[in-house]
Amino acid sequence: MCTLSRQRKGSIHELVQMILRERFCHQRLPEKPVGMESQHKHLLELLRRTAVHGESNSVLIVGPRGSGKTMLLNCVLRELLEVKDVNKNVLPVHLNGLLQTDDRIALKEITRQLNLENVVGDKVFGSFAENLAFLLEALKKGDRSSSRPVLFILDEFDLFAHHKNQTLLYNLLDVSQSAQAPVAVIGLTCRLDVLELLEKRVKSRFSHRQIHLLSSLSFIQYLDNVRSQLSLPQDFPDTKFYDEWNDSIKTLCEDQSVVDVLQRHYNSSKDFRSLHLLLMLALSRVSASKPAIKPTDLLEASRVCMVDSKANILHGLSILELCLIIAMKHLNDIYEGEPFNFQMVHNEFKKFLQRKSHSIHNFDKPVVMKAFEHLQQLELIKSMDSSTAKIQKEYQLMKLLLDHSQIMEALQKYPQCPTDVKQWAMSAFG
Amino acid sequence: MFVGLLLSRYLNMSVEGQEAVTTVTPGQYILIEGNDDEYPFVAKLLKFFGDESHKQKKALVQWFLRLSEVPQNKKLLLGRSPHPQEIFYYLGRACDNEINAESILGTVHVRQDNSPDTLYVKLSWDTKAFNVLDPVLMQDTPASTPPKPALPLFPPCASPTATPVAGSVSDTRATMSAGKRSTLEAESIHSASKLSASKILSAKRRGSAADTPGVRKKLQLSIGASECLYCLFNILFSPFFPELRKELRNSVCFPCFLIQVTPSTPRHATPSIPSRTVPARQPGNILDEARARLHVSSVPESLPCREQEFQDIYNFVESKVMDGTGGCMYISGVPGTGKTATIHEVIRCLQHASDMDEIPTFRFIEINGMKMTDPHQAYVQILQKLTDQKVTADHAAALLEKRFSNPAPKKETTVLLVDELDLLWTRKQNVMYNLFDWPTRRHARLVVLTIANTMDLPERIMINRVASRLGLTRMSFQPYSFKQLQQIITSRLNKVKAFEEDALQLVSRKVAALSGDARRCLDICRRATEICEHSASHPSSTGLVRMSHVMEALDEMFSSSYITAIGCASLQEQLFLRAVIAEFRRLGLEEATFQQVFVQHRALSRVEGLQPISVSEGLAVCQRLGACRLLLLEASRLDMLQRVRLNVSQDDVLYALKAVRD
Repeated sequence: MCTLSRQRKGSIHELVQMILRERFCHQRLPEKPVGMESQHKHLLELLRRTAVHGESNSVLIVGPRGSGKTMLLNCVLRELLEVKDVNKNVLPVHLNGLLQTDDRIALKEITRQLNLENVVGDKVFGSFAENLAFLLEALKKGDRSSSRPVLFILDEFDLFAHHKNQTLLYNLLDVSQSAQAPVAVIGLTCRLDVLELLEKRVKSRFSHRQIHLLSSLSFIQYLDNVRSQLSLPQDFPDTKFYDEWNDSIKTLCEDQSVVDVLQRHYNSSKDFRSLHLLLMLALSRVSASKPAIKPTDLLEASRVCMVDSKANILHGLSILELCLIIAMKHLNDIYEGEPFNFQMVHNEFKKFLQRKSHSIHNFDKPVVMKAFEHLQQLELIKSMDSSTAKIQKEYQLMKLLLDHSQIMEALQKYPQCPTDVKQWAMSAFG
Repeated sequence: MFVGLLLSRYLNMSVEGQEAVTTVTPGQYILIEGNDDEYPFVAKLLKFFGDESHKQKKALVQWFLRLSEVPQNKKLLLGRSPHPQEIFYYLGRACDNEINAESILGTVHVRQDNSPDTLYVKLSWDTKAFNVLDPVLMQDTPASTPPKPALPLFPPCASPTATPVAGSVSDTRATMSAGKRSTLEAESIHSASKLSASKILSAKRRGSAADTPGVRKKLQLSIGASECLYCLFNILFSPFFPELRKELRNSVCFPCFLIQVTPSTPRHATPSIPSRTVPARQPGNILDEARARLHVSSVPESLPCREQEFQDIYNFVESKVMDGTGGCMYISGVPGTGKTATIHEVIRCLQHASDMDEIPTFRFIEINGMKMTDPHQAYVQILQKLTDQKVTADHAAALLEKRFSNPAPKKETTVLLVDELDLLWTRKQNVMYNLFDWPTRRHARLVVLTIANTMDLPERIMINRVASRLGLTRMSFQPYSFKQLQQIITSRLNKVKAFEEDALQLVSRKVAALSGDARRCLDICRRATEICEHSASHPSSTGLVRMSHVMEALDEMFSSSYITAIGCASLQEQLFLRAVIAEFRRLGLEEATFQQVFVQHRALSRVEGLQPISVSEGLAVCQRLGACRLLLLEASRLDMLQRVRLNVSQDDVLYALKAVRD
């Protein structure tokens, strides 16, 4: 009996993990996009008119990264394809500026996705010029009332603007402005200045419809959203567990420390992608023996998210390397951020050894050099000269890629750091 | 291939090809060199005469047309699919019925009953309709049988050792080109200099086919055989020999490996978009109707506001077509001022005029510099539109050169529209040079209309010899004024009452002030109808489009989104922008490194009572602003040393941040 219930519990947790992970990893679209109702309506209307009336359109969806551009579009497409008349009538073509890096590849991909007649299996036949002529001819032969509307979805739209002559954009937008096969050109981009990238005749053919996704979410809405994101859906099989879980989420979101953590995240960025990362980390600590998310889980997750990337690297340095970094810090103070070379650092280090050090023995110069090179490999210091080959290693100019605060923090946390090194770091000048 | 032309006392013409002398006499049916090697023109020889200088022998002919020579839009008048061997008696007047005797290729049989091998005539064509042929017209033939069996058009080629069709055709072509030199001296049989360009090219192609290792390996054939194979190949894959193809497939000597050589390559794929299952819905209410009419793609009933330009272009093209001469015209104007639309309208009117028989018929061809991958593709596209041939760019250039520089009978004027001319620029400018040089040739009959955006394009990018050939016939389309824009919208709406008068005026004034682009104007109006539809509480109770709707549409399209974006940014992002401005002020420069800005940022967050963020977070904030292009950043591998600049003015940032605080 006991083992059976534990098994059941285990499977329930697997289910919870599955449901929530799908949500956080963007594998499942939300029921309805949150906080973008008007944009949703606008886009849906536009695409519906293309699908039903055969009206050609072009539109840009602009918003910062993680603001839900793709999610909005996918929601609209899902809704559009549920309409019976539309279902078999539209031909969506998905392109991505990061994948289709030039027009040649993009054309092949379009032809392949449209499955035109010069496609056999997965291969597109013909040269670049033939493909272009073929596609344009195909689109030209279509007309508003009888051919299927084509939805061109251009992800990372700004990258398409860097293609040679902007041939693809010109042609797609030209089709959308002439009596040919009905098309809708939908661009997604995070650049606010995307229109300035378009050439004037390409720009003239674009309809200048822009849907901006700029979230003006208040913190209260943000909190609500966190709660709904963590809650289980109503059709969850085990009602008892469902109630327990949702209650625990409710109390979690009212906990002051949790609110503080979320406030900090909200201040940093409002987008959902970083929130999902945080919630994912918290969720991964849920198991059969720990059946709910506790405030400490969220605090820990937040700590992991917010951690400085260089702190860990500093943590693993040897005392010698740390000393070199302190010497560089002093050089930075003295010369006000001017670059330094190995000789200067070594000098500074030697001065420290002679005057103040009690615990650190003298190191040979090659050993110090080796430590210096290791720092360069870790990219904690960066060479300022482009032609590295010509100058001797010792005299190459370097810059430190660390902030004061990062160094001091690392010293505080460093296990068994000698006191004289700490004092040296804190003293004003060498 | 000894070739000579003898003028007998009976005004008989003898064409000596290969080893047999073919004599042509008046009354016989002859083949005449045309644009298409496989389909020479057909005519009946009426009489020979010499021209004034007695240097050239001319001939008077009665033309017959193949269906491919009938204008595309008239082909449907036939009402049935034509037999490939059917020709039509030509009753029109537009074609010159004098030809050079040198262009005669040979004789041909023409009958009046339907026979499978030879050409036959049943109908006549008078440029308007097909009529049943009056037998009297054919009877006045002094039916003298030709001394030699007439040149069969397509010799049967069932066995692989027989001389293939392509070979015999090009032999005839060689004959012709040698005859063209109008030298009576004998020339050596294998002289390469006699080969015409097409012969050389076909020989080259044959060679390249033989060189393809895959083909050879697969077929295990000698070069001689593969040469023959190439011809058969041509036949098999050319759409013109359906019977022959069938015959060959059935014949035993060539099993179906020919099909395997090209694994199901779609040779004749027809470009088309699948058709929809449910027909598109027609516009329902008045706003839908207005929206459909305002779409840039809808063709308006008339083109207002470009009457003067229309008349100028019309006169230019009409005079050239009437005179049968050539010329160039350069048209410039900013995008969306109706350049292409006006020319299309001119061509529509001219087509109509030629249908009414007021002017001679002409061909209209359109190419667009943006719709090709390489400037040299222009040749390919022109040739394909003229003759339906698909060849490489170099070959197409050679063929076009020949077409436009040689005199040919039955030539009609070609009107060529070159859109986005600036894209045809190459380093040597040979594409532009050729396009502008052809119209100056005596026999070209080519009118070139070119369009580009900049007024001084000829001066700026063309070298002298190109600009000089383009000539000084220029026209520039001015941006539309607000009155014109208003007139355009009103004429498009054409009594569909969907807009308030003031609203239209606002749109046109706004667009005229910004760009004068008619496309923009139409797009804004379209968007305004949508806003109007959405703002109405009930879908049925939508009124007219008012000022407020238009204002909203204008706002959406023209207002900068930077300020809203800053307003919607997260607290740390806003703080970072403030830190950037503070650092700029401290430095007195418009540029700072991330490290410097971050010091400011930390100080500011202390002032604001926020917990300071780590460097990694700060960099993430900075990158997010950079991705939106609120900030301009250097490459991110520079880490803390990357330099930061604002992409918005400082005042805008401060204004936006102030608005957030209040």
